[in-house]
Amino acid sequence: MKTFKSLVGTGLLCALVLGFSSLALAVDTVKVGNILPLSGPSAAVGQQGKQAREMAVEEINAAGGIKSLGGAKLEMFYADSKSDPNVGVTAAERLINTEKVNVLSGCWNSGVTYPSTAVAERYGVPFIVPVSVRDTITERGFKNVFRIAAKDSWWARDQFAFLKDMSKEFGTELKTIAMVYENGDWGTGLAAQWKKLIEKSGYKVVLDEPYPSSATDLTPVVNKIRRARPDVLLLVSNAADAVLLTNTMADYRVRPKVILGTGGGHADPTFLSGTEDNAQYIFDIVEWETDVNKPGVKEVNAKYKAKYGNNLTGEAVDAYVSMYVLADALERAGSASPDKLRTALAATNLKTGPAAIVSYDSIEFDKTGQNMHASPVVVQINDIGKGLERITIWPKSARRAGYTPVFPIPKK
Amino acid sequence: MDFSYLIQDIISGILMGSIYGLIALGLTLVFGVLKVINFAHGSFLMVGMYAAYWAVSITGLHPYVALVIVVPVMFFFGYYLQNFLIKPIFVAEKDVREPTTVIIVTTGIWYILDNITLLFFGPDYRALTPNPLKGKMMEFGDIFISIPKFYGFLIAIGTALLLYLFLQKTRTGRAIRATSLDRDAASLMGINQWKIFNVAFGIGTAVAGISGVVLTTFYNVYPTVGVPFDVKSFVIVVLGGLGSIPGAIIGGVIIGLIESIGPTFMTSTWTEAIVYVLFLLVLFVKPSGLFGQKYDW
Repeated sequence: MKTFKSLVGTGLLCALVLGFSSLALAVDTVKVGNILPLSGPSAAVGQQGKQAREMAVEEINAAGGIKSLGGAKLEMFYADSKSDPNVGVTAAERLINTEKVNVLSGCWNSGVTYPSTAVAERYGVPFIVPVSVRDTITERGFKNVFRIAAKDSWWARDQFAFLKDMSKEFGTELKTIAMVYENGDWGTGLAAQWKKLIEKSGYKVVLDEPYPSSATDLTPVVNKIRRARPDVLLLVSNAADAVLLTNTMADYRVRPKVILGTGGGHADPTFLSGTEDNAQYIFDIVEWETDVNKPGVKEVNAKYKAKYGNNLTGEAVDAYVSMYVLADALERAGSASPDKLRTALAATNLKTGPAAIVSYDSIEFDKTGQNMHASPVVVQINDIGKGLERITIWPKSARRAGYTPVFPIPKK
Repeated sequence: MDFSYLIQDIISGILMGSIYGLIALGLTLVFGVLKVINFAHGSFLMVGMYAAYWAVSITGLHPYVALVIVVPVMFFFGYYLQNFLIKPIFVAEKDVREPTTVIIVTTGIWYILDNITLLFFGPDYRALTPNPLKGKMMEFGDIFISIPKFYGFLIAIGTALLLYLFLQKTRTGRAIRATSLDRDAASLMGINQWKIFNVAFGIGTAVAGISGVVLTTFYNVYPTVGVPFDVKSFVIVVLGGLGSIPGAIIGGVIIGLIESIGPTFMTSTWTEAIVYVLFLLVLFVKPSGLFGQKYDW
């Protein structure tokens, strides 16, 4: 009997302590742990992610914090992953056990995010992944992982959705496809996904050509494209070969109806300086572009540029948005406890506010924790009076106001 | 396979291959005389391309007329680089049979040149402007011939011939050949070995300048542009024979033909593999290359 009493007593005490501590937590701050590559090879993107997060958190705190938690402020903790998976895992352990963070975010490198999210899952701490594209990150049946960005395989999916939408909108028939890609992991991986999609959608492959990215002469590849006469040319290239390929195609008058790049070399800032007008009308798929026609895009970009000196990148946008997704979930949860926060995150359906600068309509997670509406945008390179620039054209809802895409690419 | 395709591929291969040969020419000359594997050769090509780019941008001259500026600038660049950076190593390692440190120095020069360029000019891809040859093609039905590459072919052959004549007929040329055969004996005959080294290195660099001019008419300039050409040059020089001038041009054309005809039968990734397999085969079967001297130095 005595033991029972003491048990109850301890239990009550525990409950009391727990209650107080969670109350104290709720009123003061919500601790957000961020694992980012702040040094090492991906430091530049890591910094972008940090800056974008800080701008969002400043805005949220300045606007009165999380109101349902009595105006609790977001407090940021950063850990440098150095792009190293081991460092990322250690950082996740430390942030959870020592800093007692309520939620984690990061890690940009898929290789770091993959094991770090597993740590968070084990402790039952929600983990918001702004950008890490590897498909499997949200495909392990985890309950606590929520990804904002599109998966790797969705890039290929959206390239085909783009082709379908555009050929419908402009009444152009597209039948044959040539796939030309760099022979690394990235190019061959994407080509494998193209092949699956081509089988489903009834196009015909007329050329399937990997090439070494270090090639000094791409004339043979261009001649193969010329002979294959495709309607659509799908490309995966790094910077030097994207430039060389574009210029050589112009020399040999190779102009398929659609030339569609996959970011990377085609999105490289030096691509336009190397190709000049040879790049006109080329299409390219990217995470985000500063001219996306959504409310707030101009203002947020202008503020970011004034603060940090650069335009927002796709990575920065996802990082910025992730903090608003967190704030929204905290607001609805009315608690910072991992469990309630997780349930609130899973019920996210965010269409308005600063998070709406994404190119798609709303942020909503599916059962796996993947943002089911996430999608990259397609741009067209064209000169509309101010020199060549990248103009968002797809999805149609995000198309730059007043721009009509040139589709198909005209014959010279 | 359509016959016109084959002709197209052969023409493209010969044109591009002769330009590879021109790039390898400087490397083979420096090796022949100094017995130094110049890892900075690709960087010299890059410097030559920037020299051509700036000469044309500033003066507005036709790219080939700009050779008048680029060639002497590059010659003296190489001349003094050898004199101040490489020669001291040679002197320090006089008693070493194979002065490997020199190889390390050329690697250092490669890194320094590439990074200085990156620091000053950024990673931008620069296209020659004004470029009267940009995108110019001769069209014969299905067969396209790039005009800047055709001129490049002529310049490559011309440069090789001139260099050959220079080495055979002039006094300096004979001194260079004597030094390449036996530098100690040449020194005893009153040839200033160091001066010959400077001149040979200068000529090698000037030839890199000529290739730079040729390349910029159809290729972009950027800080690491030399790297892939450097690797290709090594293969060509080994294939053609170390130190051989006709070997460099013919080796280049062979590589160009493999690269351009190969993709008709397989994907382009494989042609690169074939080039390197050929490289290994030559090393195993005939290490002196197609036109190399048979004896060891």
